[in-house]
Amino acid sequence: MAPERPEGGAALVLGLGNVLMGDDGFGPYAVRLFESRYETGPGVSALDAGTPGLDLTPYLLGVSHLVVLDTVRAGAPPGERVLLDRERLLALPRGPRVNPHDPGLQETLLTLDFAGRLPPWLLLVGVEPVRVERGTGLTGAVRRAAHEAADEAARILTGWGFEVHRREIPLAPDIWWEKGRREPPAV
Amino acid sequence: MARITVDPITRIEGHLRIDVEVDGGVVRDSWSSGQMFRGIEIILKGRDPRDAWLFTQRICGVCTTVHAIASVRAVENALGLEIPLNAQYIRNLLVIAHALHDHIVHFYHLSALDWVDVVEALKADPAKAASLGESLSPWPGNSRRQMEAVKAKLKEFVDRGQLGIFANGYWGHPAMKLPPEVNLLAVAHYLQALDYQQKANKVVAILGAKTPNIQNLAVGGVANAINLDNESALNMTKLFAVKDLLEEVRDFVQQVYLVDVCAVGALYAHWLGYGAGVTNYLAVPDLPLDTKGTQFDLPGGTIFDGNLAGAKAFTSFQDAYFRDNVEESIAHSWYDGDWQRHPWKEETEPKYGDFDPNGKYSWVKAPRFMGRPMQVGPLAQMLVGYATGHELTKKWVDYALNTAGAVAGTKLSPSVLHGTLGRHLARAVRSAVISDLAVKHWGLLAANIGKGDTEIFTPFEFPRGEQQGFGFHEAPRGTLSHWVVIENGKIKNYQAVVPSTWNAGPRDGKGQKGPYEASLLGNPIADPKRPLEVLRTIHSFDPCLACAIHTVDAQGRELSKVRVL
Repeated sequence: MAPERPEGGAALVLGLGNVLMGDDGFGPYAVRLFESRYETGPGVSALDAGTPGLDLTPYLLGVSHLVVLDTVRAGAPPGERVLLDRERLLALPRGPRVNPHDPGLQETLLTLDFAGRLPPWLLLVGVEPVRVERGTGLTGAVRRAAHEAADEAARILTGWGFEVHRREIPLAPDIWWEKGRREPPAV
Repeated sequence: MARITVDPITRIEGHLRIDVEVDGGVVRDSWSSGQMFRGIEIILKGRDPRDAWLFTQRICGVCTTVHAIASVRAVENALGLEIPLNAQYIRNLLVIAHALHDHIVHFYHLSALDWVDVVEALKADPAKAASLGESLSPWPGNSRRQMEAVKAKLKEFVDRGQLGIFANGYWGHPAMKLPPEVNLLAVAHYLQALDYQQKANKVVAILGAKTPNIQNLAVGGVANAINLDNESALNMTKLFAVKDLLEEVRDFVQQVYLVDVCAVGALYAHWLGYGAGVTNYLAVPDLPLDTKGTQFDLPGGTIFDGNLAGAKAFTSFQDAYFRDNVEESIAHSWYDGDWQRHPWKEETEPKYGDFDPNGKYSWVKAPRFMGRPMQVGPLAQMLVGYATGHELTKKWVDYALNTAGAVAGTKLSPSVLHGTLGRHLARAVRSAVISDLAVKHWGLLAANIGKGDTEIFTPFEFPRGEQQGFGFHEAPRGTLSHWVVIENGKIKNYQAVVPSTWNAGPRDGKGQKGPYEASLLGNPIADPKRPLEVLRTIHSFDPCLACAIHTVDAQGRELSKVRVL
């Protein structure tokens, strides 16, 4: 039986990161893989949002189910995937208020929480980066993790009851920033 | 003598480190340091100039649109292209909507907490807050019922035992002075602002085809096909949606944001003497009204030593006074060498060292105009506009000074604008100005399309040989310029001289401090362990160092620190 869209639900697969900074481009890369690989039913959208800081808030207003794809420093081996849930994300320790901390995501979530508008369903599929330095292109381990994360996002959405179908023939992912790619400098 | 290091200080994107020396409760010396290397120039070398804007808008996730605009203008300048009127108007509407979104977020969600004590709002009398709000503005969102609801929400939040987004604030700091009712009004507007920044952002989404990181630009124009009857083109429905959204945002800006800044500023009038620093100002004209870029709706020019009478205007996208007088110094920046050069002649050779307050101490270069440090941002633009008789600017500056003066019970002149509070007030005034212009430029676009003009793009070819170009844009944080050298259709050199470089840059070869550094001198510091006053002055510039990465830190490392030595 085909799963049904949760009533009135709006799901967003959100890629965060800077495509000009090596592995930090994981989120945008993974979200574009997701788009190329899956066809989605009503109420599901995907967005490569870059690094919007607190400017992220308008994109999350009205979203009930959120999957974030992003790099995470969790002390895991580089290239390993890391899953964080809503409670964990909100409870991450923060520095003094001078701090942008991780720029934006946590502050955005906390701002929406105060406004009573935080997505009730929220998961972050992350990866421990290998190399975050000027230059376009992911390291091999993070590229592999991005492929896995795109599929993971689809499984999460399906579990929530949204319609997500794997395309028989995937579209070409729009990774425009890797055209004429320049390798990041050696570590 | 105490040495305080605040690292990092930007509330968004990237790392800014500020060091101050404090003696007798006053800042005596200061250093501003960018802690991350950007290097967009290196990424762009050898690429197709038509693609540059796609990459430059990824420099910074907050300032996306502005780098796209400056980039296409730089390439168009190198090729001597004229841009169809529709394209200019569509770009202008994008620029305005982006700036309104940005200014609203900056005040309510990033810097109001430097002045507003959220916890104190719990002591407010909602009825008094409502009558105060209603005495200042016709805004319908200030009713007693609404104030009661916000107070109840805040109480519930605080009773949960965690302050969430408001945790780690300097609550109860001796420098917090607002009455509880003003704090409550500010919290109410903080919540309402979420919806209005979203409305501004929707305009960017409709016209830009996507946001963040718009997709509708092209060197030579825009890619928004205009066909009033076609669903996928820029049509009647979309145009009227844009108009409605812009009008709603205008009302919020003029009836809430500007009024709040006037009131908060007036209640902190004792801060009017702080934070002036560099009183040389630089702004560029923007919102072009013709295809060549020789007439503009926003003023630009220079002011030196705070002398408004000597203001000199920039007059076109080809302006030689601007083109010939911008240089960057690396005397105190982590690059190889010690030169001060024009952007077309620069090289980007990073050479990291330690933080050396007497030597090199920042990744940020030190831009100079005719050899002088310049303050950029809304204050620069409002002062240049005021000095050159720009009518809309005068109208809203005078309105703001009268409103703030009425609350403070004194008469205020434009000279009070030099400083920390003035930067906030100027940003709100600029928002009021451009929200009027939003409606005007919507009308210009609609009228031009109504005449049957659907032109959106000027075709071109790259000539052989070398061309140089520059493109400027008055971005939310101030003057942004991109400089490109093209050789046989490929990028040979590219430099972005960004607003936060002008303001956050270090000393130059002559030892002249940058605007952040200079603005901190003389600031009071009540409690060195909680240097709220440093944050107030730096945040008033709306700092955003263009070097963003995004990594969630799940280990709880202390990522920012205040060190008192």
